[in-house]
Amino acid sequence: MDWTAVRLGRRGAVAVVAAAALGMSACSSSSGTSSTSAAAGGGLPATINVVSINPQTGPAAFAGLAANKGYDLAIKEINDSKFLGSTTLTLSKVDTKGDIKTAASSASTAIADKNVSAIFGSVSSQEAIAMSPLVQQAGLPTIYTQAGSDGVVVGDATYRATPLMRTYYSLVKKYVQEKGWKSVGIIHTAAAPTLVDIGTKALPAIATELGMTVTTTVAVQGTTQDFAAPISQVLASKPDGVAILLVGAQNPTAMKQLRQAGYTGDVLGNSGASAGNLKPAGADGAGMVWPVDFNFQQKAEASQKFVKAYQAANSGENPLNYAAEAYDAAWFLAKSIKAAGSADRAKIKTAMATVASEKFDGALGNGLTWKDRDIVVPGVMIRWDGTGDVLLYEGSAS
Amino acid sequence: MLQDLLGALGLASIYLLFALGMSLTWGTIDILNFSHGSIFMFSAFTAHLLIPYVPMGFVGVALVCIVVGALMSLLVQVVAFEQIIKRARNRNTAERQILIGGIGVAIIPLAIAQEVTKSNPFGFIDSGFEVTTWTFMGLRGTNILLITLTAAAALAVGTAMWLRRSRHGLALRSIGVDSEVSAMMGVDRRRLAIVTMAVSGGLAGLAACLFTYTLGAITPESGDTLLIKAFACIILGGVGSTGGVVLGSVLLAVTETVVLTRTSGLWVEAVAFGLIFLVLLVKPSGLFGRKEVRRT
Amino acid sequence: MSDFYAANLVLIQSTFIGILLAVSVQVPMRAGVFSFAGAGSYGIGAYVSAILVLKTGMPSLLAILMSGIVAMVVGLLLGLLVAHLGGLYLAMATVSFDLIVSVLAINGGDLTGGVTGLFGVLSDVTIFHLIGLALLGIVGVALTERGRVGRRVDAVRDDPELAQSVGISVRRYRLAAFVVSGLLGSVAGSLNSLVRSTISPSDIGFSLIVLALTMIIVGGAQSWKGAVLGAVIFTWLPPLLAGFGQLQHVVYGVIVATAAIFVPGGLYGIYSEARYRRTRAKRKTPQREAPAHEQALAISVPNGDAGRSA
Repeated sequence: MDWTAVRLGRRGAVAVVAAAALGMSACSSSSGTSSTSAAAGGGLPATINVVSINPQTGPAAFAGLAANKGYDLAIKEINDSKFLGSTTLTLSKVDTKGDIKTAASSASTAIADKNVSAIFGSVSSQEAIAMSPLVQQAGLPTIYTQAGSDGVVVGDATYRATPLMRTYYSLVKKYVQEKGWKSVGIIHTAAAPTLVDIGTKALPAIATELGMTVTTTVAVQGTTQDFAAPISQVLASKPDGVAILLVGAQNPTAMKQLRQAGYTGDVLGNSGASAGNLKPAGADGAGMVWPVDFNFQQKAEASQKFVKAYQAANSGENPLNYAAEAYDAAWFLAKSIKAAGSADRAKIKTAMATVASEKFDGALGNGLTWKDRDIVVPGVMIRWDGTGDVLLYEGSAS
Repeated sequence: MLQDLLGALGLASIYLLFALGMSLTWGTIDILNFSHGSIFMFSAFTAHLLIPYVPMGFVGVALVCIVVGALMSLLVQVVAFEQIIKRARNRNTAERQILIGGIGVAIIPLAIAQEVTKSNPFGFIDSGFEVTTWTFMGLRGTNILLITLTAAAALAVGTAMWLRRSRHGLALRSIGVDSEVSAMMGVDRRRLAIVTMAVSGGLAGLAACLFTYTLGAITPESGDTLLIKAFACIILGGVGSTGGVVLGSVLLAVTETVVLTRTSGLWVEAVAFGLIFLVLLVKPSGLFGRKEVRRT
Repeated sequence: MSDFYAANLVLIQSTFIGILLAVSVQVPMRAGVFSFAGAGSYGIGAYVSAILVLKTGMPSLLAILMSGIVAMVVGLLLGLLVAHLGGLYLAMATVSFDLIVSVLAINGGDLTGGVTGLFGVLSDVTIFHLIGLALLGIVGVALTERGRVGRRVDAVRDDPELAQSVGISVRRYRLAAFVVSGLLGSVAGSLNSLVRSTISPSDIGFSLIVLALTMIIVGGAQSWKGAVLGAVIFTWLPPLLAGFGQLQHVVYGVIVATAAIFVPGGLYGIYSEARYRRTRAKRKTPQREAPAHEQALAISVPNGDAGRSA
């Protein structure tokens, strides 16, 4: 028998025993799940810590960074107005770098840190899905923005301050009726579940309601960069209108190629074309319309108040919807903390359920409500005119 | 149908220009440059940054892209690949380390571009060159499509002739056959390698310029998508053969277009990967691959 | 200690998973097979076990075992298909295999959850399972690096013709490399799904191949010790780099590039070479040539023209 194997076997056995001992000692003294926070006696402590776990670098960075600006603004207001009395709310920001493991790891770190009372979850669906089981099990109150797929809002600790696109996409009805479209051709990406839903379920349902036919539906991938073939396919079916539901850089390319193919009418899109994504298309991008949960031109009083405060704090820059959603999320948390009268996670969680049952006015509009821990907003219809957003009309609170 | 074919040819031209640079270095000096995609993207990115400050027009943008691409490839060759070759014990180790080194180097321009653009799309808006459309016999095309087709054809023919007829081309091919003997015959491998890498980078830059004008906008991640497609083109056609790369590009683009228009469009990616796998299984040297212009 | 453990639980779990992934790519490399199929096996293991647990409620260990079997069979088939390839061509073929797996994951409809992937995969996998399986993997691989098996594997890598002529079945060892790589990769992937409770196509794409590659290049490709070193480094490095703020990706790329250029044997290679030099210096009398497996400090892949192996 090879004596080296025996030696390894013994060494291996020692290693296993050592690891087991280490594991057991770690296990037995690990902290419980829902912990009590720094508050000694009843009432709010001097500082309450909240963490924003969002991508600040990587493909979703523009959404994560905008959300952080919204959080910053809200928290500054909360502290300045002494909304929580003498208590200060502090926000620390963690970058997930667009990596799911980093997001899950940061969530675990926040859970283990007894001084953290709540977290603002990632805008990225994939990251949110990985975080939700952890925070729900630990009972750490988490409010997400964006992150529109299933598996994000999983329990009483998870909320989402962004409405699902399918709940407000019906805003296009008025527009389509005004245009008198009787048929529509759809190109959608298969890479974003939200847009798959709109392209294959929500929009066709709207079409049926309005008596429109869907002439063709073409799915493209997230990595598709050339849309000439799908566009010619759709235009060959001679629809009255075209819907292009793509993400990021695909939007300007598709608009350009659509115009090159000879289609000059308006195009139904989605908010993934906002934030200046259409700029590289120049004049070809004009005429894309889409419903979105927030635009800085919307007239609701609370929204305008937010817009002005944001502009003042960000050198005149107009807020994106990501910032508005984050702003409302932070205020929702503050109200819950106030109602709970404590920085304890379990108490905040209970208070959130109560606060969520009330209608309120926020950056996202008037008469906002929560349904199954997802926010419901009136929404607005936007048209891109080649250089900026034009507000067409607003929805009404449902 | 004919319109789709035209579109496929345009796509093939882009693939060809991109893959030509990689095929050049892979087929002659045995360097599989994984940073080719990053260099491609970064040359377009540099042009994008300069456009607001310098009025350029099409020629200016193309020149900037070509020069940046060439310089970057040159830099990678001198700073990274040469060092690896110097230290490697044998050719196979060198090949492997060059692969890894290229991957590592590719991360750097990607990170810079992502940081500056926040991964938003960028293009050549306001560069003084407008894409115009024309119709001819029921077929639609754009001026950029014409330029791309012409450039791809000219460069493919030019490269093939350069390799076959010129002294430099002969020297390059002799390195591929036996580098020691060719060194004895007075071929300066180092200088030729640098020139080849620079040319390859210039081709990438030109491809980037045409690609960005065709699509209107690209993202920092666009280069990596093309990298795998370029492999497919080269392996399909055979390493070391310019005609092979042309054929490979056309085949890939046509197959992808057919799959895109006939099926739900989700299997397009699989076309490139599947083709690579299939060709390697059945005929690894590719359609036109020449075994003699390889290692001994 | 327990606070550290709780706060960094995900990283600790990722370390063990990373070890298995790195070893799954290192094992074939050591046998002279330039295969990245370990990443594809990771994908297979991740999805199969997630599907089994989610749809049938199968206990975790059984799911890991079943997906391991699937991956081993696939690995064997793959090894048979690409048996005639070598060098870069083999590498490219295995890379395309990996990417095909991810395309299948995207197009799998409801079974694989499409682009979103699967979530809610609740399992009873504990840190003990992770440690235990990782250790099993390491011990298994370490055993193949010693004694007769170790020398044979080295022979298959360094000089397949000679090995064949003394009766070592080169083909069998190479196929075994594919199967073992399949098993190790699959276990790593299964553990990842079960511990993260989610799996998506973006987890198993090209970046996974790059990660595995950088782990063994920087750690050292010639031994499992290098793989472990690389796995530890590349799991804990990104959080440490966070301090660089916006430059962190650039720093990461520089590290990988520098390691590839200047340290081809990896960190473990530096260590073993230093140790070898020290033992040589200590010897007074001229020695016979150092044993084959100590001499071959850098892995080389068998020659082949147009991808055909000897």
